[in-house]
Amino acid sequence: MKRSLLLVLLLLAIQIVEAQEKFIFTPQWTPQAQFAGYYVAQDMGFYREAGLDVEIVHPSATQPALNRVFKNESQATTLQLCQAMEVIASGVPMVNILQTSMNNALVIVSRRGVSPLTQKGARVGCWAAGFGQLAFYLDDKEHLEYEWVPAASTVNLFVKGLLDACIAMSYNEYYQLVQSGMEFSEESVYRFCDHDYNIQEDGIYMRRDYYEAHKEQAQKFAEASRRGWEWAAEHPDETLDIVMKYVHDLHVITNRPMQRLMLEEILRLQLDRESGEREFRLRPDMVQLANNLLLESGILLSPVPYEQLIAR
Amino acid sequence: MNNFLFRMVAFIRRKLATRLGLWIALFAALIFVLALGFMFMQSRKTVRREAISHATQTLDNTVLRVNSILERVQVATDNTDWMIPLHLDSPDSMFSISRRILENNPDLNGCSISFEPYFFRSKGRWFSTFSLHEGDGIETIQEGNDEYEYFYFDWYQQSKLLDEPCWTEPYVDYNPQGITSSSVIASYCKPIRDAKDQYIGTISVDLSLGWLSETISAVKPYPNSYSIMIGEGGTYFVHPDSTKLFYQTIFTETLDHPDPKRTALGHAMQRGEEGMQQLDVNGEPCYVFYKPLGITGWSVAIVCPEGDIFSGYYRLARTVIAIVLVGLLLMFLTFRRIVGKELVPLQQLAGQAMTIASGAFDTELPDYERIDEIGQLGHSFSEMQHSLVQHIAELKKTTAQKASIESELNVARDIQMSMVPTVFPKHNKLDMYAEMNPAKEVGGDLYSYVMQGDRLYFCLGDVSGKGVPASLFMAQSVRLFHTLATEGMTPADIAIRMNNELSEGNDRCMFVTMFIGMLQLDTGRLDFCNCGHNPPVMDGQFLKMQYTNQPIGLLEGIPYMGETIADIRGKMLLVYTDGLNEAENPQKELLGDDRLLELMADTQSLSSRAVIDKLKAAVEKHRAGADPNDDLTLMCLKIA
Repeated sequence: MKRSLLLVLLLLAIQIVEAQEKFIFTPQWTPQAQFAGYYVAQDMGFYREAGLDVEIVHPSATQPALNRVFKNESQATTLQLCQAMEVIASGVPMVNILQTSMNNALVIVSRRGVSPLTQKGARVGCWAAGFGQLAFYLDDKEHLEYEWVPAASTVNLFVKGLLDACIAMSYNEYYQLVQSGMEFSEESVYRFCDHDYNIQEDGIYMRRDYYEAHKEQAQKFAEASRRGWEWAAEHPDETLDIVMKYVHDLHVITNRPMQRLMLEEILRLQLDRESGEREFRLRPDMVQLANNLLLESGILLSPVPYEQLIAR
Repeated sequence: MNNFLFRMVAFIRRKLATRLGLWIALFAALIFVLALGFMFMQSRKTVRREAISHATQTLDNTVLRVNSILERVQVATDNTDWMIPLHLDSPDSMFSISRRILENNPDLNGCSISFEPYFFRSKGRWFSTFSLHEGDGIETIQEGNDEYEYFYFDWYQQSKLLDEPCWTEPYVDYNPQGITSSSVIASYCKPIRDAKDQYIGTISVDLSLGWLSETISAVKPYPNSYSIMIGEGGTYFVHPDSTKLFYQTIFTETLDHPDPKRTALGHAMQRGEEGMQQLDVNGEPCYVFYKPLGITGWSVAIVCPEGDIFSGYYRLARTVIAIVLVGLLLMFLTFRRIVGKELVPLQQLAGQAMTIASGAFDTELPDYERIDEIGQLGHSFSEMQHSLVQHIAELKKTTAQKASIESELNVARDIQMSMVPTVFPKHNKLDMYAEMNPAKEVGGDLYSYVMQGDRLYFCLGDVSGKGVPASLFMAQSVRLFHTLATEGMTPADIAIRMNNELSEGNDRCMFVTMFIGMLQLDTGRLDFCNCGHNPPVMDGQFLKMQYTNQPIGLLEGIPYMGETIADIRGKMLLVYTDGLNEAENPQKELLGDDRLLELMADTQSLSSRAVIDKLKAAVEKHRAGADPNDDLTLMCLKIA
């Protein structure tokens, strides 16, 4: 009887250890090529080779990615730099364990073939979920007096002609608009990265307390994820196959040509403008720029130092 | 291959019937191509016109049916929404209003009456009453919350921004278990205004689009045609390939493979235009007929493969082309056979011509009963054969006669040649040689001599004309000379006597030029009488004579004068006929007197025969292969 009890306790202990070792990663959105490197790392076994038991769990309407991280249901997620800084400023210490984006993907597209900056007072769609901080800052700075229309999705409203312009990600909504038959001249697309707003976006973040307790695991995850992105850059076709598997598994409404364009753009955004390399690092100058803009627009009350963002 | 073609061409060139058959078939083919080409072109236009009419009518009927259902939704909404502004003081009454719409319209899926954030202070940020059919009953809830902020969704925003009633794009609710077409819905949304005409919210009535998909999919004017429906964003909401539904737009394929025609079609449908376009769908040429669906912004299209539209036309074209090809082949074979049959007599004729050509002139020809060109040719050929046989017979006869004459002439030549001496006097002081070469079998030249002791009579002459008459006159002249020389007469007397004898009864006015000489061998005295003959050459010069006299035989009784040279010893005397100095080459140029004197210069040391051989060789050389134009007779003598 005692022997049986010991065995049960032992098995329970093993399960607890296994449960603790499980690393759940939640990208900030439903499956798409924006997260191709993580799917590659998972499917090509890079995480396993790093000794990690990673599970990719996508967010749902009731369980956004950040909520999962806050509740310790996921160990890591992806965040845009500005978004991460807002989270840290709100009092939740987060740490960037891998920066993938080296360029900003935000654009404002105008439907009339003219620069959005010339359309003062225009009705401009933005995401109700956020991500539009740079656009709001631009609106203020340039005194554009845009009439902002927050929406769950701006694509349909823009296509139907109900908006004069809308903000979009160059790898996502921009191609959705193209796929809806919209045609844009170079002038009608305002790319923030081409002006003084080139602030890095996606990086992998985790709670700092979790990081402090699992540094080695975090570093292994970051390293394997980086390997996944590098492999994706070298094997775009195979990567696309992997992405489409995740897309189909969760019935995401998209298609292969769309994901191909997204992957190409995401990989392009990962190249540092100065070095032309995939550097996978958070640039202090961009953190500084983000601080300046967020402070100026009142989103931040005090700066978030670079050191508070990076892993130490 | 080349060898085969070469053999084919050779065969066609050899066979007139095949060639004619081919030409006729080719010409007929040309006419067929032109006529059928025109007919097919016109037929194609007609088929196309009818197809457009048929497809357009089908599309119109479909759109009419769909619109009538959509309008029912609009009417149902219009019949209810007026109540909302009247009950704004009682937010909960919105539950019963939304419920009432479904009760009155069981075919509707759901209805929401939604308000701007914090419109009702008592209800907080969200207030959206939503009724939907649930089993046999209707469930009504307030659906707004922090996870579903309805006022950010298309169905709400659209009518708000447009400030007019409108239809949303068809959509499906996100469902982790998967998306099924049965849950596809579209919403008719209408802005709600308060008493001050201010926008306060949106009423949205949902309609399941399963019936719409079935109605549109059932439109199939041709066996392989199909229908599609796209929304304003180009997304497929009806398509036979279910993997494209919601996942792809009409432009998706153009992202990988730009297709301006497809892009133009998509834009036209997005703009709510009505029309037809031709483009390739999956590599197959198709006609696409499209039309907008009322105020929805959606567009319906029927895709008709060209092969379907023109299948009957292509079937007819294939049949007609097959009939024409078989007809042309039969025409070719028939004409080849007919022409071949018509040409049989020609082939027979060709065979018989070959037989006749081989020498069988009496080959019997068939009796040509035809009166056409071939019959005429047969008759002509038969006539030609008869003429040929007759001609050959005459030719044989003539040839035999000619052979007989030639034989006689040869005899005559022998006789004539025997009349001139080939042996010359053996005298120690005399070196004499002469030779006669008639231009034809017999000639009119002559020479002769008679020895009387130390006295040598000699003569050389040339009878007018040629051939047999001249030879006979020559024979008579030689006989007379012999007779008279034997009598010891002088050359002049011999000439007088010969002239009198020969001119008697000389009706044909023949005559002979003659040089008659009498040489005293011991003293070298030469008496001669030149009767109109060429001056002899002596000592390298033409002999200068006092009297030329008339040729012998022209007029009876005329006098002939003789001359004497005292001594010609040591000198060479050449007497000749004009066959020497008037010998012609192919260019009709004469040897000439000057050339003759050149040849005779420095001949003192030569014998008489050597001189004659030299002159003969010179004449032969001058002629250069030309036939002799006159008899050539030469006599050369020299006394020591």
